[in-house]
Amino acid sequence: MSRINTKFGKELKRYGAVDFNKCYNCGTCTAVCSLSTGEDSFPRSMVRLSETGDKKGVESSLKPWLCYYCGDCSVNCPQTADPGELMMSLRRWLTAKYDWTGLSGLFHRSGLANIIAMILVAVGVIVYSFTQSFDQEGIMHFAHLFEMYAIATVFAVILLPNIIRMWYMTVVKPGYKVPFKAYYKSAGELFVHMFTQKRSLGCDDNQARWFAHFVLVIGYLTLLFTTVFLDWFSNESIFVNLLGYAVSAVVFIVTFVFVLGRIKQKHQVSKKSRPSDWFFVIWLFLMGVTAFFVKVFIDLEILENNFWLFLLHFTILVQWAVIIVPFGKWTHFLYRSFAMYFDKLRKSVPAESAKK
Amino acid sequence: MQKEPITLTYDAIVIGGGIAGGEAALNLANNGYKVVLVESRLSVGGKMIMLSKVFPTLDCSACITTPKVSEISRHPNIKIFTESDITSIDKLGEQSFVVKMTQRPRYVVAEDCTACQLCEQACPVIVKDQFQYGLVGRKAVYIPFSIASPKVAAIDIDNCTLCGACEKVCPPGCIDFTMKPKEYIFNVKTAIVATGFRLYDPTNVPRYSYGTAKNVITSIQMERLLAPTRPFHTILRSSDGKVPDKIAYVLCAGSRDDSMGNPICSQICCMYSIKQAQLLLGALPMADITIYYIDIRAFGKGYDEFYEQAVSMGVRFVKGKIGKITEKENGNLTLRYEDVATGKLKEAEHDMVVLSVGVKPNKEAADLFKSHKLELDGLSFVKQSDPLLSPAKTSIDGVFVAGAATGPKDIPDSILSAGAASTEAISYLNQKSQ
Repeated sequence: MSRINTKFGKELKRYGAVDFNKCYNCGTCTAVCSLSTGEDSFPRSMVRLSETGDKKGVESSLKPWLCYYCGDCSVNCPQTADPGELMMSLRRWLTAKYDWTGLSGLFHRSGLANIIAMILVAVGVIVYSFTQSFDQEGIMHFAHLFEMYAIATVFAVILLPNIIRMWYMTVVKPGYKVPFKAYYKSAGELFVHMFTQKRSLGCDDNQARWFAHFVLVIGYLTLLFTTVFLDWFSNESIFVNLLGYAVSAVVFIVTFVFVLGRIKQKHQVSKKSRPSDWFFVIWLFLMGVTAFFVKVFIDLEILENNFWLFLLHFTILVQWAVIIVPFGKWTHFLYRSFAMYFDKLRKSVPAESAKK
Repeated sequence: MQKEPITLTYDAIVIGGGIAGGEAALNLANNGYKVVLVESRLSVGGKMIMLSKVFPTLDCSACITTPKVSEISRHPNIKIFTESDITSIDKLGEQSFVVKMTQRPRYVVAEDCTACQLCEQACPVIVKDQFQYGLVGRKAVYIPFSIASPKVAAIDIDNCTLCGACEKVCPPGCIDFTMKPKEYIFNVKTAIVATGFRLYDPTNVPRYSYGTAKNVITSIQMERLLAPTRPFHTILRSSDGKVPDKIAYVLCAGSRDDSMGNPICSQICCMYSIKQAQLLLGALPMADITIYYIDIRAFGKGYDEFYEQAVSMGVRFVKGKIGKITEKENGNLTLRYEDVATGKLKEAEHDMVVLSVGVKPNKEAADLFKSHKLELDGLSFVKQSDPLLSPAKTSIDGVFVAGAATGPKDIPDSILSAGAASTEAISYLNQKSQ
């Protein structure tokens, strides 16, 4: 039995959805969407589920992740019901739903919660530095260890369980009996989409947006690798040093362009930014910028007299690692690629067995 | 230019010579009032005279409009000015309006022209025929259309090369290139605004490919293809002259759509599309007709039955608004839409697409009134000061409104509102002067 649940709409509005209940079901959004296909048609189907409050339908759907938000649907919507922004808020809602801690929901709904968490983390870093009497070598060593432990812990405690929850909600619960063989057969899909985001190339006129995003992802991952595993800050190799400079510059330049886009609001995709969107791009920018200048200061041997810069970088890093990565917008990196993987899994099963 | 404007006195002025304006003028004239009717185009009859048939009775539109038009033209109490623009209307007091008007030169002496068309044959210039909505060409000197009133030639001076060929062949010698605009001043007691509407311009929606894909036409163009006074003697598609056999109608092309700049329902598109579909099944018995719609709004008397009739005749109705139209190499068109009944995204191929274009206001009406403000509503249609109880009243006492000037209307409603406007005008004329 299904019942209309009007509360769901109100819930979605806290995640940024606007006016989607103006929809009169003409299907223009679906028809202009270049990623929508015969079987996987959206966004109208998702607007319908949201209007009727079919939480289970939304929960088990991968469609929000199949949309890469070009904004054509919102531009052409006869009712200005903004289906593109609904898809975006469904992604936020799903991120909250997948997260077992519930903190993702809090940070996606409330800007204040983000600010408070950021301040608490900053205070923590300062108090820690104080207890270490601002000992440069000790703190830098600790920071490097922290990076490694934070990555391992966040992945094991938060991200992995959340992906398992996503798998359960979208594959197991809806009744897809996926044979074991399909899991490793489709694994290629996961990595291709994780590192290339190639599906977003299907959006109309998206080459430039895709390329900028691609460069950023590769830059970010390389920066992570250079600082954490190659220990860029203390590495003597010229190659590693130059690589570090290059990728940190890539990260802050591209994110600067992204931030600018959100301020100018020229494209549909950047017209309505939520706190979680702002924190994500700004912190990524700050990470790139501070990492770059910390290394400049190290190479010029003036970091000792300007240790505040490292502390700033470290604070941003900790905020990034314990707030934005596990509970913020960072997770779309995983959910998007796993959605493509799970979608492939679901399609590997004959339709009858899914219906039960 | 003449030295002094010609000053004339009438009881009422009717602005717009479409079916609403004509009906209002006729009602006033039959009650003994002297009426001046001002039309900006070359012929009276408005849009109705151009139509094929009317819904839901399938009466021939030309056959019911022309007797009405000729009655208006011959009425002793009605003076018609075509090709004329009002420049200002000032209200001096109750039952006292001063109207200034300019009549553009036709370059043909209307009284002498016999509509023999020899000038048309002689003219070397060919341009698109606006009265056939660009489907065929016409000459620079031309009779607007076969049932035009007055049926008199006119010279399109912007395209004329002044070669003088027409002047040489004209039997009564009525071509006169020295004609100048004429200025008039009318003293009238009341005014009726019947400025009608204009059709939505689908070039505003590039994804519908109107203007780039040849076989995408508008509903008024299809109306011409179906009319008794049509340019061809069958239905032909523009790209290659093929008789189409899979025709699609795209409803709400420029109606009920904020993104296209017209949020309201145009009220006529569902019905005229259903009508055209039925006429097409008569003209092309083997053709498949599909109507893509959001909702079918068949609200008037006999309208729903008319829709049911189309369904039983085999017209396909598909719920889903067309998102994109792309032209194929052979001139056929691919329509992308969501079949809302199944939720599936689909593509369909048609060899001709008709955009059922919506209704937009003629905003210019308000600019004519100088001393008093003729208020418009939020969508720039003429505002009715009391839409429920006195729908013909405007923001100015003594100025009444008829037809689609107040918003989208079908023909029966336009005629009704013309009746209301003329009655209100007569009541106003019979008020004791204050």
